[in-house]
Amino acid sequence: MKILVTVKEVAEAEDDFDIDGLDIDERYLEFDLNEWDEYAIEEAVQIKEDGDDVEVVSVTIGPERAEETIRMGLAKGVDRAIRVWDDAFADVGMLDPKTKADVLSAVVEDEQPDLVLTGVQAGDDSFGATGVTLAETIDFEWGAVVNALDLDAGAGVASVHRELEGGIEELTDIELPAVLTIQTGINEPRYASLRGIRQAQSKPLDLHELDDLGLEESDLESPLSRTAMYEPESEGDATVFEGSAEETATELASLLRDVGVVEG
Amino acid sequence: MQLTDEQAAIQDLVHEFALEEIQPVASEADATEQFPEAIWDALGELDLLGMTVPEEYGGFDTDPVTYSIVNEELAYGTLAVATAVSVHCLATSCIASFGSEEQKERWLPEMAGGRPVGAFALSETGAGSNPAEMATTAEREGDRYVINGDKQWITNGERSDVVVLFAKTGPEEITQFVIPKETPGLSVGPPETKLGLRASDTTPLSFDDVEIPVENRLTPEGEGLRAALSILTGGRIAIASQSVGLAQSALDAAKSYVSEREQFGGPIADIQSVRHTIARMHAKTEAGRRLTRHAARTRRDPSADTPTAASTAKYVASENAMDVTNDALQLHGGYGYTTEFDVERLYRDARITTIYEGTSQIQQTVIARGVLDEG
Ligand SMILES: Cc1cc2nc3c(=O)[nH]c(=O)nc-3n(C[C@H](O)[C@H](O)[C@H](O)COP(=O)(O)OP(=O)(O)OC[C@H]3O[C@@H](n4cnc5c(N)ncnc54)[C@H](O)[C@@H]3O)c2cc1C
Repeated sequence: MKILVTVKEVAEAEDDFDIDGLDIDERYLEFDLNEWDEYAIEEAVQIKEDGDDVEVVSVTIGPERAEETIRMGLAKGVDRAIRVWDDAFADVGMLDPKTKADVLSAVVEDEQPDLVLTGVQAGDDSFGATGVTLAETIDFEWGAVVNALDLDAGAGVASVHRELEGGIEELTDIELPAVLTIQTGINEPRYASLRGIRQAQSKPLDLHELDDLGLEESDLESPLSRTAMYEPESEGDATVFEGSAEETATELASLLRDVGVVEG
Repeated sequence: MQLTDEQAAIQDLVHEFALEEIQPVASEADATEQFPEAIWDALGELDLLGMTVPEEYGGFDTDPVTYSIVNEELAYGTLAVATAVSVHCLATSCIASFGSEEQKERWLPEMAGGRPVGAFALSETGAGSNPAEMATTAEREGDRYVINGDKQWITNGERSDVVVLFAKTGPEEITQFVIPKETPGLSVGPPETKLGLRASDTTPLSFDDVEIPVENRLTPEGEGLRAALSILTGGRIAIASQSVGLAQSALDAAKSYVSEREQFGGPIADIQSVRHTIARMHAKTEAGRRLTRHAARTRRDPSADTPTAASTAKYVASENAMDVTNDALQLHGGYGYTTEFDVERLYRDARITTIYEGTSQIQQTVIARGVLDEG
């Protein structure tokens, strides 16, 4: 059985930052693995540890800088990694979920996985759509926002809990091959061990350019482009009352009276 | 000071572990004087307790630079944990370097996973800076040694299950042994009440007619101290590294505090003398780090300069850690003097770094010897 985990390195900005053109100035950014992907990797590695003959492959679309983050995945038990990149990606800038799904579907074509795990969303642009769009593109079954997964590899069925709006949980059986988008909290991601880190240095991490995937630059034409980046003005301050309900209710009442929301 | 990819990844890992797992429990461990054993077990799972165990015995056998980085980052979590780890690693180094095949097989594979915990018993009430004055004796009786004496200030004294012991086999002959803690006659004294490093257990160990088979001797008779000094050179680099990590955590705490705390109409980070204090703290931390990395690099290919480099790093990094934690406390003002903030603990912890594994005065003696008498 083969599991493909899509992963992304995301940037997190410091509390105070400057904007440089269409992005946050890189000096204020710190790069790390997308939080949701940590859980997707852990889920895949646990399936590998519980089963026989399971291979876990990670794939990312990202520049060379992302290799450090990807190696951490290898150190935690991913068997090999694929990085898709080409100068053309740097030129297009922002990729929409459909364009990303097209690129990833070329990797799925090559790899023929039985199961694809993605994070529910990426912490930077928060589309939350890439996994599901990929499933549609490659015509796999899918389950979104999975917070519990029980895989019957023999029968080719994944029994999943899905987290729906309003705290409702859905239980579904999904036939493989399938794409599941993984929610945080589904497991407890491990730390890499020193031995894992050492082994990761010699695990395969292959670069695929557009050519290798049978894609062309025109396949990257994204209907989305970023037009501006700015920090919204904060429109007022929050007041936090601390104490028991009785104490805070009185304080709230007098505040509402002061600002004129209630009279009397 | 470029790190290899593997070293950089290990640094990231241990830094994150220190931040996410160790720092949150450090304050309570200090207050209750309880060693955080769950942290210890987690460190074992990450292979961090087998750093000085050869790979053939299940260890990770880190190079000196990696070892230094790990010590720095663990101390960024809390010094008490880092010290316990480095003492355990001193014990496994001794067994790995001097033990017979049988002793290595017996202890190292399990110690590499963290348990049994190791202790290193050199100091005595009457023999600290000058261990040659020790009074503990090991007398040969047939195929056994009988040990009598008392060791003082032993880290992991209570929690250890195996002790690397130094004792006299003749008037001027110091020899190294490995002793299971459960051996009859070996008892643990009451833990010391300490200014800092309170989560680490420091106890006396008493040996009252403790009998061990001759196989438990690690070094040839009379060669125990020289052997210890070479291992302690590595130990000094470890304490230097820990001093750097401790200083860095104080600096980071101060950085965030001065940006938040407002006086005179703005954050105190806008006041020039505060900025200069932060600059000085950074410079001192970085100076300690550079000397320590240099010492670790020279230890990788040891030469006559290695002891001088190790003592220089230990001296500067530990003295600087005292200055940096002191400044961090000062920048926190009244809050810094209370247990509401971590800096008072960092300040108390820093105080030990200029004392154990050779006081600053002893480091200067070693440095002066290197500068004046050799080369
Ligand atoms: C928390 C803690 C943990 C420890 N853990 C261990 C451990 O695990 N194993 C172990 O074996 N030991 C351990 N020690 C002991 C430690 O290594 C000794 O305390 C240290 O070596 C100093 O020895 P001393 O206390 O006898 O001081 P002394 O040697 O009595 O020194 C007193 C003062 O005299 C100065 N002095 C002494 N000789 C000279 C000289 N020649 N020139 C200039 N100045 C000099 C010293 O610098 C110091 O300022 C620990 C100590 C503490 C406090």
